[in-house]
Amino acid sequence: MSKRKVKETHMPVGECISQVQMILRERFCHRRLPEKPVGMESQHKHLLELLRRTAVHGESNSVLIVGPRGSGKTMLLNCVLRELLEVKDVNKNVLPVHLNGLLQTDDRIALKEITRQLNLENVVGDKVFGSFAENLAFLLEALKKGDRSSSRPVLFILDEFDLFAHHKNQTLLYNLLDVSQSAQAPIAVIGLTCRLDVLELLEKRVKSRFSHRQIHLLSSLSFIQYLDNVRSQLSLPQDFPDTKFYDEWNESIKTLCEDQPVVDVLQRHYNSSKDFRSLHLLLMLALSRVSASKPAIKPTDLLEASRVCMVDSKANILHGLSILELCLIIAMKHLNDIYEGEPFNFQMVHNEFKKFLQRKSHSIHNFDKPVVIKAFEHLQQLELIKSMDSSTAKIQKEYQLMKLMLDHSQIMEALQKYPQCPTDVKQWAMSAFG
Amino acid sequence: METMFGLFLSRYLNIGVEGQEAVTTVTPGQYILIEGNDDDNPFVAKLLKLFGDESHKQKKALVQWFLRLSEVPQNKKLLLGRSPHPQEIFYYLGRACDDEINVESILGTVHVRQDSSPVEPNSGFFPCFPIQATPSTPRTPRNATPSIPSRTVPARQPGNILEEARARLHVSSVPESLPCREQEFQDIYNFVESKVMDGTGGCMYISGVPGTGKTATVHEVIRCLQHASDMDEIPMFRFIEINGMKMTDPHQAYVQILQKLTGQKATADHAAALLEKRFSNPAPKKETTVLLVDELDLLWTRKQNVMYNLFDWPTRHHARLVVLTIANTMDLPERIMINRVASRLGLTRMSFQPYSFKQLQQIITSRLNKVKAFEEDAMQLVSRKVAALSGDARRCLDICRRATEICEHSASHPSTAGLVRMSHVMEALDEMFSSSYITAIRCASLQEQLFLRAVIAEFRRLGLEEATFQQVFVQHQALCRVEGLQPISVSEGLAVCQRLGACRLLLLEASRLDVLQRVRLNVSQDDVLYALKADRD
Repeated sequence: MSKRKVKETHMPVGECISQVQMILRERFCHRRLPEKPVGMESQHKHLLELLRRTAVHGESNSVLIVGPRGSGKTMLLNCVLRELLEVKDVNKNVLPVHLNGLLQTDDRIALKEITRQLNLENVVGDKVFGSFAENLAFLLEALKKGDRSSSRPVLFILDEFDLFAHHKNQTLLYNLLDVSQSAQAPIAVIGLTCRLDVLELLEKRVKSRFSHRQIHLLSSLSFIQYLDNVRSQLSLPQDFPDTKFYDEWNESIKTLCEDQPVVDVLQRHYNSSKDFRSLHLLLMLALSRVSASKPAIKPTDLLEASRVCMVDSKANILHGLSILELCLIIAMKHLNDIYEGEPFNFQMVHNEFKKFLQRKSHSIHNFDKPVVIKAFEHLQQLELIKSMDSSTAKIQKEYQLMKLMLDHSQIMEALQKYPQCPTDVKQWAMSAFG
Repeated sequence: METMFGLFLSRYLNIGVEGQEAVTTVTPGQYILIEGNDDDNPFVAKLLKLFGDESHKQKKALVQWFLRLSEVPQNKKLLLGRSPHPQEIFYYLGRACDDEINVESILGTVHVRQDSSPVEPNSGFFPCFPIQATPSTPRTPRNATPSIPSRTVPARQPGNILEEARARLHVSSVPESLPCREQEFQDIYNFVESKVMDGTGGCMYISGVPGTGKTATVHEVIRCLQHASDMDEIPMFRFIEINGMKMTDPHQAYVQILQKLTGQKATADHAAALLEKRFSNPAPKKETTVLLVDELDLLWTRKQNVMYNLFDWPTRHHARLVVLTIANTMDLPERIMINRVASRLGLTRMSFQPYSFKQLQQIITSRLNKVKAFEEDAMQLVSRKVAALSGDARRCLDICRRATEICEHSASHPSTAGLVRMSHVMEALDEMFSSSYITAIRCASLQEQLFLRAVIAEFRRLGLEEATFQQVFVQHQALCRVEGLQPISVSEGLAVCQRLGACRLLLLEASRLDVLQRVRLNVSQDDVLYALKADRD
């Protein structure tokens, strides 16, 4: 009996596809951190060294990570923390405290959260005892008693740092930064924000205590690097069990990225925004079309995904309107053209509509005023038109001034694709003077 | 202890009790006695498990507690429905006690019998009847002590010269005597010393921009005075310190002063009354109190009664209170204080000037104290740059620290780093002083850059500094056509605009206004054009 060496494992296509879906979705939905963040080596090194010095030498520090939305600030911090906690000396020796400006909207709540996360002695179970003043005094006392060589360093991570600067007197920020500049328990204050002018928000005393270290995540990716990034994001990792499928998949991704229409689509996305998040959204839409019966990503998938991403948000609303409502919108458009964007009221729109009915229309029925008012109110509910005066003075609803929230190009495009639009309406829209 | 209760020995964990020669051994499953408040009646428990904690130095035990009859509350005793034996113990199923204990508190073993037959007294057996103790509500920790846990491994000391320099340049390592503040030190010292020796009170107002050494100088004065008082050169005095920013409310000042003076805790109003009584009434052998109030401007209230009291108490005959206040603005009394408060503050004022470049250089040199880590001209560059901008010592020290880090990283191996040179310092200055708007514009995507250009074009057309999104969008479409790009939809334009607004390159109105929101530039037009022009070249 010959022993057969199993050279490669083969899995049925369905199982391969579900594995692929799981791996790629984890990547795109940010459940799993990448091995090494791409394109931010110097920033990674800077932050890692800083935190390592706090953890190992007990040196207090403060730093701000600044970058546009979706550029990878939280991802960078999490990668650095993961690498830091792998070091043997560090693992049991740091106390991370995570705060978020959107969750802790007030210093009182923030203090309770800090006390709870540090598990100080005035916490029983999950409840923190004491008033705001007592909590603050307790925390400051605890940090003051600490000492550089024997206390555990605390890492304070403040997400949405700019929101903390809006709290009253900036007490929390002052106190944290003051501790980082005094000979007390060693702490590191790490702020993440997307505002470039965040330092202008800090009061002069707080600003003086901040060490002015900023790590900027401004990506200068070229298009070629962007394409490489797309290719690596879609490729499977080395340890995929079925090697034949792995080769086939990666080969198909490679040809996909060389296909001209796909490159054009990606160029369009690159022109619009360079960050990871929007790219992951696009790739996620393309991936969701992959199934056992269609086990590869085709160029049409990517084109379709791009179309979904780039669609105008009001186009579908316009397609769902009735003819009467559409006519009202065209009437408003003409009013905007004639009066150069001045606000209008219902009566003006109604007059314009009646002019059209008298002169040009054959197919539109002459609706009663209450019906037209109803249509107008429906447009208001859809927020395609918005009331201009927020005063409480009660003006009759036919005379309230409104403005149109649609652009010229959106209306024309909607008309082109509107199903079974009467020709006289179309002609009215395209004519110059109503 | 052991003879009194008739113990059994077995051999698994050895315990030696002080004053006893025999070594006891306990095993899991045995009933044990644990040290408590009462030496004659130690706690009884059943040993469930023995283990060591992470560093294997501290042995711990998991126990099931029992209650003696004396520990059972009265209302539970009545539930029993019979009169219990005096040596009876009961299972404790409450949650107010920690089940993990240190083995050091184990005194020895004891035999417990689960039995319902009547027992003779003094036989040494404890009948055990399980009783359901209701879970007790967690009590407010009344004696909670504030502390941060300690490290398992001590912090590493500085290894090479650059690390040593970095440790010395940290803002927190304040030297024994502050250079360049000798005159100010002398003035404050004379003021406080004279008040302490005369046994009178007084107020002093110290002002200066942040980072000029005000609080540090006052601390140094107090340290020297304490030393002099220890040498019996001047009478004894007490020093207390409060900080306006470390309080949640100005009236908490009373609470903190009272607590630091007498250790008493009280509400704000009660504390104010108690302090009033204390400073108004004469008391024999009262020592002078020196009070430091940092960040005075935060103690402002509408009626200004906190500040009034702080400046009024020193004027009382028997108060013997010296108040030193610190704030940032020189004319704070004239600006925010009403007349009677400002007059009680008095005219003893001192103003700390920002450091000049020579002084900053002296500060760095004295901190480094013969650790040769910087080149001469590198130090001069930092001092001149910081002195020209703000004169803030903290900035100077932080930049020097960053420069040492850059020097260490640029060398191939940390020990061959060498001195910190001009190039390292210039890199640190660039990082910490530059604004990143220009870089952000250069790194923006193509549509974002086009949008910025459209904004400028629209401003030029209108002759104003703001425009609505709709108007800018028209310009943007035109620019797209000129560049040969596909025109974008309104939603995409709004998304581009929002991204620029989030980084504050543009200032936007609320996004619920949709296409009608007004747009302004947060960067000057010249900067935008400069950034975009350099990009195209």
